[in-house]
Amino acid sequence: MRDVDVSFDGSPVLRSLSLSLERGGRLGILGPAAGGKSVLLKLLVGLVAPDDGAVHILGTDISRGKEKTLMRVRRDVGMLFQNYALFDFMTVGENVAFPLARLGETEEGEIAERVSLRLRAVGLAGSETKMPSELSGGMKKRVGIARATIARPALLLYDEPTAGLDPVTTSKMYELIAADQAETGCTVLAVSSDVGALCGFSTELALMHEGRIRYRGPSEAIGDSNDALVRQFVSGKDEGPL
Amino acid sequence: MLGDRTISAAGRGTLFAWRELGGMTILAGQVLRALLPPRMDAPELLRNMYRMGNRSLPIIALTAFFVGGIMVIQAGVLVKQLNAAGLVGWGAGYAIFREVGPMLIALMFSGRVGSNNTAELATMTVTEQLDGLRALAIDPIPYLVVPRVVAMTVCLLCLTVLGNLIALYGGAFFAMVLLDLEFSTLYYSLVDNIHWLDFVHGAVKAAVFGASIAMTSCYFGISVRGGAVGVGKAVNAAVVAAAISIVMLDFLLTAVLP
Repeated sequence: MRDVDVSFDGSPVLRSLSLSLERGGRLGILGPAAGGKSVLLKLLVGLVAPDDGAVHILGTDISRGKEKTLMRVRRDVGMLFQNYALFDFMTVGENVAFPLARLGETEEGEIAERVSLRLRAVGLAGSETKMPSELSGGMKKRVGIARATIARPALLLYDEPTAGLDPVTTSKMYELIAADQAETGCTVLAVSSDVGALCGFSTELALMHEGRIRYRGPSEAIGDSNDALVRQFVSGKDEGPL
Repeated sequence: MLGDRTISAAGRGTLFAWRELGGMTILAGQVLRALLPPRMDAPELLRNMYRMGNRSLPIIALTAFFVGGIMVIQAGVLVKQLNAAGLVGWGAGYAIFREVGPMLIALMFSGRVGSNNTAELATMTVTEQLDGLRALAIDPIPYLVVPRVVAMTVCLLCLTVLGNLIALYGGAFFAMVLLDLEFSTLYYSLVDNIHWLDFVHGAVKAAVFGASIAMTSCYFGISVRGGAVGVGKAVNAAVVAAAISIVMLDFLLTAVLP
């Protein structure tokens, strides 16, 4: 994306934001709350339209794209929402199967098998018949991850993938995401406030604040940034510009 | 100044009404586009028809039965004064088919199904489920809205036809019990005087009311803003808008239809 501006009711959320991501890359985006991270992900899947600038996803310009273009691009994108966005009128199994079922290219038996495997991978084996309302927040998050990854999209967007999960499950989830990526070669963009977990997972990190990128570079070098705001966020100290 | 404030409030109200009306018109256009040729999720349509139609049947039947009774009790005074027992069946049938049946059943349907539909769609909107569908390359209009519009229109039409018949039976029952009238008197009074257009008149109204309830409830559901408070406001707005639209459409259709 290049020079993208997004505002809601006159309040700027993203300001002249430029960001590129290589295919097969693994970028983590950190930042304080309300810094525009979730809006950035929604922009990448066409749920938010830019006021200005250009957004290209997998070689297609979606910033001025028609609904048909968006729908085509979205078939190659998987997204985990911050609040899970599980369909509460479907069972867990139906939720996870949905991305495959709507494509209509996979037989029912194979879908059921892949759903079972995906749920086992996220530690929820045998939960197919449960309703989302029967699950805890952490379990919903894992179902969301299973749904986002089952169709093996080329681009995966994770909005706070481990919020609400315990440290052990958090590292398991990142291991799972990394293993999936190694298998499919997809591009991963993960947004989180969990500095430690995201540093360990991402090959590259960016820090967003007030709609702008304040840092972009190797994960291991973020603590040595010249920007006091970046250093404060990473160290978690009370004193500083934040 | 009070005058300025009044004018300002009236202006805000007018702008609000036009904005909502415009939003509903756009949604109606999107629904029509999805229906030509029909593009909707069949399992979702059946699921909605079951819970909107089948599950509304008991409450509609109960209401209709007593509505028939009310019609007869109201007519009873005149029947005795004018000794016009031969008109009771026709009077009750005429009123039920053309006016009371479609309107009361639509209001009941709006309260039960329309409000539920708004709450469900509004909750889905605020919990990002609609965005979740879009992100999975599913357009929520053909997938969620169109099946509901079709289901509500068809279900209200069927429930009204059924409700009208139950109201007639209710009327006959109360006429026999309270007015000592023979069933045959009521029956021949109805079939000899009622015209098939009276039935069609009510059926057309029912279908239009169903579409209107569906559009208002879906619109307020998917355009909600905010969390739980927003959902409550959306349900309230949908019920009020549906009631107003039913009455206004009833007036219009009564004037236009034969």
